[in-house]
Amino acid sequence: MKESKVLKLLDNFKWLFEKFGVDYPIMRRILQLKLTLDGRRTPTAMVDSAKKKKEDNSFIKSLWFYIIFGIVLVPIVILGDNYLFQMSLVFGVVMFMMIITLVSDFSSVLLDLKDKDIILSKPVEGRTLSMAKTLHIMIYMFYITMAFIGPSLIASLIRHGLLFFIIFFIGIILMDLLIVVITALLYLLILKFFDGEKLKDIINYFQILLTIVISIGYQVIGRLFNISEILGIQYRHKIWHYLIPPIWFGGPFELILKGNGVSHIVIFTALAILMPIISIIIYNKLTPAFEYNLQKLNETSEIYNAKSKGFNHLLSRLVCGSKEEATFFRFATNMMKKERNFKLRVYPSLGFSLIFPFIFLFTFLKDGGLDGVVPSRVYFSIYFMGFMIPTIISTIGFSGNYKGSWIYRVIPFNNTKDIFKGTMKAAFVSLILPLYVLMGVIFMIIFKGKMLVDLIILLLVLALFMVICFNVLTKRLPFSRPFEELGKGEGVVTMFLVFILFVLGGIHYIATTIKYGSLLYISLLLILNIFGWKKGFDVDWDPSIQE
Amino acid sequence: MTGNGTPIITIRNLGKSFGSKKVLKGINLDIYPGQIIGYIGPNGAGKSTTVKIMLGLIGDYTGDVEIFGQNIASGHVEYKRKIGYVPETAELYDNLTGREYLTFIGELYGMEYDEADEKAEKLMELFGLKRVYDSRISSYSKGMRQKLLIISSLLNNPEILFFDEPLSGIDANSVMVFKEILAELKSQGKTIFYSSHIMEVVEKVSSRIVLINDGKIVADGSFEELKEESMEGSLEEIFNQLTGFSEHEKIAKEFVSIVQGVDYYEGV
Repeated sequence: MKESKVLKLLDNFKWLFEKFGVDYPIMRRILQLKLTLDGRRTPTAMVDSAKKKKEDNSFIKSLWFYIIFGIVLVPIVILGDNYLFQMSLVFGVVMFMMIITLVSDFSSVLLDLKDKDIILSKPVEGRTLSMAKTLHIMIYMFYITMAFIGPSLIASLIRHGLLFFIIFFIGIILMDLLIVVITALLYLLILKFFDGEKLKDIINYFQILLTIVISIGYQVIGRLFNISEILGIQYRHKIWHYLIPPIWFGGPFELILKGNGVSHIVIFTALAILMPIISIIIYNKLTPAFEYNLQKLNETSEIYNAKSKGFNHLLSRLVCGSKEEATFFRFATNMMKKERNFKLRVYPSLGFSLIFPFIFLFTFLKDGGLDGVVPSRVYFSIYFMGFMIPTIISTIGFSGNYKGSWIYRVIPFNNTKDIFKGTMKAAFVSLILPLYVLMGVIFMIIFKGKMLVDLIILLLVLALFMVICFNVLTKRLPFSRPFEELGKGEGVVTMFLVFILFVLGGIHYIATTIKYGSLLYISLLLILNIFGWKKGFDVDWDPSIQE
Repeated sequence: MTGNGTPIITIRNLGKSFGSKKVLKGINLDIYPGQIIGYIGPNGAGKSTTVKIMLGLIGDYTGDVEIFGQNIASGHVEYKRKIGYVPETAELYDNLTGREYLTFIGELYGMEYDEADEKAEKLMELFGLKRVYDSRISSYSKGMRQKLLIISSLLNNPEILFFDEPLSGIDANSVMVFKEILAELKSQGKTIFYSSHIMEVVEKVSSRIVLINDGKIVADGSFEELKEESMEGSLEEIFNQLTGFSEHEKIAKEFVSIVQGVDYYEGV
């Protein structure tokens, strides 16, 4: 196991951890182990060859994504010197990104039970383990945040000087602390009141909800100020601004760099510094309870009602051609409904698909009112729904229980077409269709029923897009790979797919400007769909499928 | 049953509920040094829960548990320094090598790296695992993993051992070695808490058998005592009798007849 620089850095803060009642050498050892394990997330099949590979590879790669994405922040930082506004906005964006990352990538670390059985049966305090876990997450959060704000940090050094840079840097660290601790505290709160399977579901839905709420909150930051007058705006203080953390972090810039000692600026600054510290102290007090309550994750009292055959059975017969296809339809439906890991990865994207169309809609609504909206066909924002399809399809090949996939090898048939087609239909029916219906109804109400034809086209486009995605993305037998392999090198492919969706939507748009265009497009889509769903799933068992 | 000296573990009125389900309904036990306790019971009787409570992995129980004369509810973890544990589900960090895992565990027990490493390597060698000491655990077979767990539970030279189904997946030769190890540990005065479903082994290794059913202790004594009391010949039969189970033949017959029936229809 290698000694990482992070650990050496941490050694300087040994006294601080000991003040918190943490057994530092043990915590350090656990952390070291965690970091070693992270470097080895390679699949188990090639144990020896994997050793030769460079460690940490995929993580470093994903950092580049954050760096590139972080360039967006540069203009906000360097334009003007309305620090409170600019920096609140920057912190808002960063917080948004980091919470999303934290919730989607690190919840599993926070809620890991394996650690508990192995480590807490030894003479190790719950507090020490919790601190190691928290730090483990913090380290990654820190890397990611640094990558994300790296470009703007450098820009700020050049544009606003060293002091600004330092405040920015410290602010980011405090913000990271706040985010990790608050998230852990929220989990703790939920763990306190609920148990077992239900708890996992609650966490699951909570994560999804959180993701959605934050994405709306992010919009609110922008609305605090009138974006169109980004430079000469006046900040008007309101009491409820104290409740919005990103604004706190804008405070120190005003206070220190401009000497603006207005009371609310001072309070913001104080909140930015004190809140992270207070939350850590509370967290530290509560962590032993956290580890205990974690045990609830393993407890269950729920029994599923075994309805004789149920709706699912009827449905599978209705939409599937063959008996085998129906079997896999039901299998996939059950798996998607019950596998939390799957839900955790897919539902947030469902949430986004639900929210984004409205965010766009309201942005336009604000500018032009509803009358302006209808002719300008803003309802095309509903196409954002399609973004979830690549996520769904690439996730469906993975499972927390991937080892169960030996079953594919022993079943007495190898007709992959039935497997894939049944699964895809299940995904369409149980994930996409409900969302489509919901969105359809809402849009119909907003636009007073003027877009029925467009909704039909949308449905056909989504169905066709599904076939396209399936064929473009790596084909994997449903639920047959470990989640650790998910998302490797498929980013570019997804971009390409999004482009295709835009093209399909674009044709839709053009079609609406031509007489009978919509009808023509519907017929074309119908034909393509029939063809696609008939022929699109003929996949040879080998070698294109990753088993 | 009484033993010699003061009990090393005392359990009084131990109760535990998960939600509305009562798993343990008042367990009372005194365990003395040098005993091997065969802790048996049907699935879901509460065996693992008892063990996990003693290890401090589960809280919120009622009653008192004292280990080495110290109430474990006090929150001090020091008592775990002299405890070894082989859990029922073999959770391990698969991406570590045997050496990395064992030294890590050793260090958690407060050992020095070199001390843990040396000890672990020798023990691995004795179990025939020297060759894989530096391979990742993910490449181990089930039996090898189990042996690794057994070694990890003994590294710290514990006074009390909790073995939860320790022999699963282990070959016959190693089982013999393991049984000898148990006897040897017992003669050194170690206390062993042994849970298993394999009655033949429990019968042979245990100096005292505690049978729990539905969260309560229904039998407690040496094998001979239990045999006298229940008039049955083997531990398996005693187990069946005390847990009120006598229908195995009927169930088996019905089971096979259903298997054949289904086959018949599928074949047509």
